[in-house]
Amino acid sequence: MNSLAEYSVISAILFALGLVGFMTRRNLIVIFLSTELMFQGIVLNVVTYARLHGNTDGQAFGLFMLVIAAVEAGLALGMIVLLYRRRGTLDAEAWSFMQG
Amino acid sequence: MTPETAYLLYFAFALGGAGVYFLLPRGEATKPAIGALFGLGSLIALALVLSTRIITPDHTTYYFYLFSTIAIAGAVRVITHPRPVYSALYFILVVIAVSALLVLLEAEFLAVAAIIVYAGAIMVTYLFVIMLAQQTSTPHYDSRSREPLLAVMAGFVLMAAIATRSADIAPSQVAGASTALNNASPIVLVSDDASGDSSTTMDEALSSSNTLLVGASVMTKYVVVLEISGILLLVSMVGAIALSRKRVPMEGYRPTAPPLGQIGKEVEPY
Repeated sequence: MNSLAEYSVISAILFALGLVGFMTRRNLIVIFLSTELMFQGIVLNVVTYARLHGNTDGQAFGLFMLVIAAVEAGLALGMIVLLYRRRGTLDAEAWSFMQG
Repeated sequence: MTPETAYLLYFAFALGGAGVYFLLPRGEATKPAIGALFGLGSLIALALVLSTRIITPDHTTYYFYLFSTIAIAGAVRVITHPRPVYSALYFILVVIAVSALLVLLEAEFLAVAAIIVYAGAIMVTYLFVIMLAQQTSTPHYDSRSREPLLAVMAGFVLMAAIATRSADIAPSQVAGASTALNNASPIVLVSDDASGDSSTTMDEALSSSNTLLVGASVMTKYVVVLEISGILLLVSMVGAIALSRKRVPMEGYRPTAPPLGQIGKEVEPY
């Protein structure tokens, strides 16, 4: 039998790549795309463990994670539209005064 | 996992980190060819490590290698492409590749749902917003990354840590997982006491259909979570409308002119 470790490794790679994108990119849209990439990694991991334990709980979690991703995308894009209207740019550094 | 395999895994991640560092947009200093070369080496080393973890290769192994390569390459392009439109399109590629991996993990319903929700709905919204903020040329903030070296180091050390722990899942734990899935306890969706025929057909359907199993799990065990996610979607809809609406002045409303010397001092938010 396979250990399914390979799927878990792939999900770790996807998550960490999303994290790198979140930290390095300055475009607000690409930052939120990176969070979606992290969601993909987590969904893959959850489903891997569901398969490992032989039940469907992980797939239910993945379904709810899809809902969270949709909620996050809706709110984030509304916010991005608002911020773009205020500043005329998608640069996250344009809002760096908020760091206090 | 033997120490040699662990070191090979660390070597793969070091190569991958160097590749992502060279691929990240840094203005003139971006070197895509060197980055691609490092990335290729990293993928080969990773495949060598994973081949030691796959004990009994079968026909799904080739699909696993194919789709995980597509997923990783697409993910790297999502975070390194200087134009957001292409990042979104590469993300659709990642979603499709991950969905293929989900099919290999016998999660067919979730795979199709992910393609419909992500590639169909969320990505279209992203593309709309990107078109809304369309620039003629690549702006400076897309061609410059913020602290690429530190971010790559942090991200890839985290990746090595998680992946090394993940690669140590014992093969014995998974033995008979698919039979356990098939012998899952029958869930009585419709209570009928008279006929025994329908219960056997329900058992057969449950053992054959992933959608039925997931649906039974969501509708019975996690029904509270289902309700909460419905409320969450409603809240998100209200919030998005409230955030992004345009304030239109009332019909016939004429603001009084500000006194001289005050013009331009206060700017309307819209």
